[in-house]
Amino acid sequence: MAEELLKKEEMGESEELLEEDDSQKGMFMTFQTGKEFFGISISYVNEIIAMQPIAAIPEVEDYVKGLINLRGKIIPVIDVRVRFKMEPCEYTDRTCIIVIDVKSTMIGLIVERLADVDTIAEDSIAPPPSLGRKEHEHNKYVYGLARTGDRVTLLLDPEKLIKQDDIVTAMEEVRKEEQA
Amino acid sequence: MAEEFNTESMLDMFLYESGQLLEKLEGIILEKQDADCFDDADINEIFRVMHTIKGSSGVLMYENITKVTHKLEDVFYYLRESHPDDVPHMELVEKVLAVSDFVTGELDKLKNGDTPDGDEKQLVEDLDEFLGRLKGEITKQGIQMPQANKHVEPTQFYITPVAGDDSHFYRISIHYRSDTQMSNLRAYSATYALKEVAEDLLYTPDDILSNEASADVIVAEGFHMLLQTKSSKEDVIALIDSSEAEEINFDELSKEEYGRALGEFGREEVEPAAAAPVAAKDENNGNNKEAKKEGPKPGDYVVKTKEAGKGKTLAKNQPKQQSIISVNVEKMDALMDLIGELVIAEAVVLQNPDLKVPGLELSNFQKASGQLSKITTELQEVIMSMRMMPLTNTFQKMRRIVFDVSRKLGKDIELEVVGENTEVDKNIIEHITDPLMHLVRNSVDHGIEEDPADRTAVGKPSKGKITLEAKNEGGKVYISVKDDGKGLNKEKLYQKALDKGLIENKPINEFTDKEIFRFITLPGFSTKEEVTEYSGRGVGMDVVVKNIQSISGRLDISSVEFEGSEMTLVIPLTLAIINGIVVQVGNSPFVIETASIKEFVRVGEDSLISEPSGEEYIVLRGECYPFIRLNERYDLPDSNDKIEEGIIVVLEHEGSQVCVLIDKLLQEQEIVVKPIPSYVRKVKGLSGCTQLGDGSIALILDIAGLLMHDGERR
Repeated sequence: MAEELLKKEEMGESEELLEEDDSQKGMFMTFQTGKEFFGISISYVNEIIAMQPIAAIPEVEDYVKGLINLRGKIIPVIDVRVRFKMEPCEYTDRTCIIVIDVKSTMIGLIVERLADVDTIAEDSIAPPPSLGRKEHEHNKYVYGLARTGDRVTLLLDPEKLIKQDDIVTAMEEVRKEEQA
Repeated sequence: MAEEFNTESMLDMFLYESGQLLEKLEGIILEKQDADCFDDADINEIFRVMHTIKGSSGVLMYENITKVTHKLEDVFYYLRESHPDDVPHMELVEKVLAVSDFVTGELDKLKNGDTPDGDEKQLVEDLDEFLGRLKGEITKQGIQMPQANKHVEPTQFYITPVAGDDSHFYRISIHYRSDTQMSNLRAYSATYALKEVAEDLLYTPDDILSNEASADVIVAEGFHMLLQTKSSKEDVIALIDSSEAEEINFDELSKEEYGRALGEFGREEVEPAAAAPVAAKDENNGNNKEAKKEGPKPGDYVVKTKEAGKGKTLAKNQPKQQSIISVNVEKMDALMDLIGELVIAEAVVLQNPDLKVPGLELSNFQKASGQLSKITTELQEVIMSMRMMPLTNTFQKMRRIVFDVSRKLGKDIELEVVGENTEVDKNIIEHITDPLMHLVRNSVDHGIEEDPADRTAVGKPSKGKITLEAKNEGGKVYISVKDDGKGLNKEKLYQKALDKGLIENKPINEFTDKEIFRFITLPGFSTKEEVTEYSGRGVGMDVVVKNIQSISGRLDISSVEFEGSEMTLVIPLTLAIINGIVVQVGNSPFVIETASIKEFVRVGEDSLISEPSGEEYIVLRGECYPFIRLNERYDLPDSNDKIEEGIIVVLEHEGSQVCVLIDKLLQEQEIVVKPIPSYVRKVKGLSGCTQLGDGSIALILDIAGLLMHDGERR
């Protein structure tokens, strides 16, 4: 009897978990940088905070803007625009920081302006066209394109986005391709 | 009932308890390592430790632990029973340490979530052989041998305790509430507490630890104990944890009544218990339905003995042990973080710009905020003191190392320990254990002469001596390892460093003693001709220094040839909070640890010397210092370049100095050090970051890193 109950409980729990996962599945936090829209799966997003003073760290990559104090936790922030090798823009009152948690590393992403939380069905996600062009390195962190309404959203893979070594490898790949 | 048993918490309890017991065990062994034999109290204690670990590992089915501890228990059982004369004490010590190491190893595996799969066979065979030899010797001498202890439960032999005139006798019955969980463990904790004061203690059911079903028996029938002790009734009552207990019956008995009660408990002298737990339980179940409070039935007992009189001394220690609880370090760290937050939040409130509106009546607010500041300061002090731990355990490890290494090398060495109660932040203790271990090994291996004749020739006792000392002075902890060995030979060190190309080629008299001694901390330096098992790979000392530097400590070396050497670790009391001065360069605040600042000066352009290579120096009072412009080093915008307008900070680290140009001084304050997130690449010259009073973040300058950077650039 007890065992049965236990089993039931377990099942109930796992079902609940699944549901929770399901509720977040297909939901993306989208933001706008320049003319393009980007999306991050909402399961990575911890919170969104307003722009705040950033303490710069010397001698680091240009896109690592520095450290912010998130209620006592000190987390690094990176500028998404600079990360995409775009011209940096002025920070305005629309600028905000998306705090994401990737494999228990907390990192803030500075984005120009938030757009929306969109539900994107899996079948409407297309893989990015991979032409051996210069944008190749950008495509590294874009794993899919989604058409919602009249605009196209580039879906980002946060794990690749925050990785520091991928630029080098991407460049190497480009070089290899060129050589071949 | 049994299915609901939470093995996880039992495992935790087992790990914790066994760990403590092993520590105690090692303490006893090392204390008595130089004696000729263990005294009765020690033998009893070791026996008990082995018995407890055996019992609880048996419950959790860790068979190899059970077997090994059982064997050692047998050995000590034999020692206790027949008091053989010619016990090879050193060998015995080694055997006990081997078992203790084995069990510790297995416990470590368990802690890491692995299965304890160490092979116990060799150890068990060794112990068997040892026990056999012990017994063999005795037979030869014609002394009668006691019955071989083949029974699984050797404690069930009874040894008459010596009842003093001032002994009291009690019968204690505890009835737990019917819904009590794990009443057997509660009962065990009661017996455990009483054991400390007991000269003799019997209880029933007797299989409370090994038989989970006994929990039901205890709830149904109560838990009965017979106690002989020197403690008063009040003391005994205080020892028993009365939570969850419905009723505690406490009768004082005369000696005669006690004797009779012993009979009720079914005890006959020197006879193995034939109790089969399950049968006894059934029997009890039947009987107790009719007469619930009658004494337990024959065969249902276990005996614990202790030397008469020893109970009293232990009783005094008791309250101290009970007043300690162990807390998960993560929780402590979380609390520490929260308090740091609180301090900052307090500053934000008390210095809120809204309060600066002119014409506000704030006297009540000021009073209240004063009170708040006082409490937060106190809170901070308390949490800091909670993180402090005495060095006792660390030093105990060192005892073990001296013991092991000196025996392997055949050196006769005495270890003196001073100030082991000195308290240091827990984080720091973790960082100094390895370096300290290395220093101690070095002292034993390289410090003390190999040949005692070399010692007596220079008028030293033939027995080597190593002193391990800790003291707390001026916010720093000094831990020194001192030996009275051969000391360091300056010429040898110099020659060697020169041969290996580790130093510049200049004559020996241009180096100070300290500088020469510091050669041994250079990477790739080892003065020992051949590499031994323990030290001499030449990678040691530089690693030691690096480890110590990583917790912003330093290593001082002093030595007199033929008289010995002394290595002193100077480490901060705590890593978490340092005294710092906040300075500003451009728009960025930086923190410099106050202890490394020599002075602040303002100099004119004429003190600056520029080399064509771009290298700059500052001349101060005739001395020439390297000069770093922080703004250039870190490429900081909006800062001033003019040397007259900025401030020069003279920093010192391990004897070398450097001048740093900053824009202005902000304030001095106690800062809570936080690491820079690992995501950010490590920057040379920065050791961490912190929050300032206004919530903004400042980077902490690491002087050693700055200097190193400077050296590399050259």
